[in-house]
Amino acid sequence: MTASAAPMLEVRDLTLRFGSVTAFADLSFDVARGELFAVIGPNGAGKTSLFNVLSRAYVPTAGSVRFDGADLLRLRISALAGAGVARTFQNLGLFGELTALENVLIGRHHLMRSGTLRSGLWLGYARREERRHRAAAMEALEFTGIGHHAHAPTGTLPFGIQKRVEIARALAMEPKLMLLDEPVAGMSVSEREEITALVRRLHRERDLTLLLVEHDMGMVMRIAQRVLVLDFGRVIAIGTPAEVQRDERVIRAYLGEELEGDLAEVRR
Amino acid sequence: MTRLASLRRRLGARIGAKPAAVLAIAILAIVLPFGLDAFWLTTATFVLIAAIGALGLNVLTGYTGQISLGHAFFLAVGAYTAAVLGGTARLTAAIWLPAAGVVAALCGALVGPTALRLRGLYLAIVTIGLVFIGQHIWFNVAAISGGPGGRSFPPVTFGAFDFSPGQQLTLGGLVIDHNGLYYYLALIILAAAMLFIWNLVRGRPGRAMQAVRDREIAAAIMGVNLARTKMSAFVVSSFLAGVSGALYASYLSFATPGQWSLLLSVQYVAAIIVGGIGTVWGALLGSMVIFALPSVLQSLIPQSSSGGLPIDDISSIAYGLLIIVFFVLEPRGVVGLGARVASLWSRVAMRGGKGGGLSEETQPLERREATWAR
Repeated sequence: MTASAAPMLEVRDLTLRFGSVTAFADLSFDVARGELFAVIGPNGAGKTSLFNVLSRAYVPTAGSVRFDGADLLRLRISALAGAGVARTFQNLGLFGELTALENVLIGRHHLMRSGTLRSGLWLGYARREERRHRAAAMEALEFTGIGHHAHAPTGTLPFGIQKRVEIARALAMEPKLMLLDEPVAGMSVSEREEITALVRRLHRERDLTLLLVEHDMGMVMRIAQRVLVLDFGRVIAIGTPAEVQRDERVIRAYLGEELEGDLAEVRR
Repeated sequence: MTRLASLRRRLGARIGAKPAAVLAIAILAIVLPFGLDAFWLTTATFVLIAAIGALGLNVLTGYTGQISLGHAFFLAVGAYTAAVLGGTARLTAAIWLPAAGVVAALCGALVGPTALRLRGLYLAIVTIGLVFIGQHIWFNVAAISGGPGGRSFPPVTFGAFDFSPGQQLTLGGLVIDHNGLYYYLALIILAAAMLFIWNLVRGRPGRAMQAVRDREIAAAIMGVNLARTKMSAFVVSSFLAGVSGALYASYLSFATPGQWSLLLSVQYVAAIIVGGIGTVWGALLGSMVIFALPSVLQSLIPQSSSGGLPIDDISSIAYGLLIIVFFVLEPRGVVGLGARVASLWSRVAMRGGKGGGLSEETQPLERREATWAR
């Protein structure tokens, strides 16, 4: 019962260095249960590196991460799904030769039990399990609005649809915490609107804690409950979207970037 | 009416046509021995036996993405298990044939962990090492292999039922000779193995294998245990190699250590590349091309006109050419060629038909073009 009072995610003094390059240093923040929490920052601020640590792909140099009251950094990478952490990838982490449905079924791998013999012999247990999880996977695809693409090889689908397959897969994992890595990156304006609505629906209708990394300020300010702003691997602000938007350091970090962006365009 | 027709056509494509094709192939495979002379029946039997092993390699390399050139080692382990249990200890094939698979699978389980540390070419090199270690053992431990001169292998016997040369089975008016018996035994084992692998790759473990092949880290984050998945692939692959090797040696009845060389591994790799990497039918189709090639060349080229080049050497050159041609022109192998012909056929058939299903059936084509554009 103490676990349910604790935050879903507690990050303390987290530091990641590659040799002399610091991806981020001394990050500390909490994500509450059921919160939609966003991490934003300019390119290279360390957002995706943070996700890679939280999904156990990178080992941090220092610091601690507690997930649902337990030490996240003691979990093996393949035990993460079972513990209740799901993630999507900025540059797609789909299995291109499998169909959309099969990709989503991989998300349910940790909920299934059939091994080589039971599957190969196609025994009753494997058959029933497969049928049950296929239905659940289809439901996740329907939720993200791409049920009609279920049987297409994912490699042949357009980028925007692939992003939805990723979200469906993460949803099908039945996680407590979902990490969304730049879900609207590389999308058109209308696609951004659709995905923003989908993320909001995901948060409202499913019992999920969402941690969102995003480059798109507009999207984050509209849907996040709290925002953490990273710049050059350091926390420069944390609070509600309204608070963060007033923060001078945030304005400087973003304005500076926009100016540089404008200059780059002028040069072109 | 057109809607009904298009529905039937679509259903046919999904459920009706495939079982019909499988049934046709099964019937063809069953009656085939009666239409072949001894030379071609022998060739067909070797093809079926090899296809069992190629199917195993396709699980490991095609579906799981672990490149192995060590298949000859596992074939040899199966063969020598058969030799020791069936020949030296005179046990029935009901014991030595499964045992050949199990012992090879155990060896696979021992080698499997190296795949956790090594990937791609490095794993290929380590598995080549396996072939050389095997060669050293086979040439020097005469108790197993008979030494450099080779040894005889036991014929398949189930109790009083004997597959030795000269034996035959009379069923009604049909006479099945020694070659036919091996043919049908290999056919039954291959069919069972194909069914098993078909189920496997469409189920939980097979999906995990393909996920590991496509993106290892992403697979792990989805909860796929990399160690267990690669291990299962090695075990399944070497089990089938062991059974195949035992049957092969038993059918040959005599083999020397030199036969389990790197060239044999290369032939299996060629078979799955030519047939279709990561497909169940590819193992059989590729084996038909690769392992029937020497017989085909032998029947095509008169001895006098081969310019003194032995058939085996010509075959080796042809393997190399086939690998190159398929890699460059159709990486999906014969199975991919089949898919192309099928899509061409459906386009032609579509033009013949009218209305209804047209837009639905062109959709996959548009999607394919979209991939190219991307």
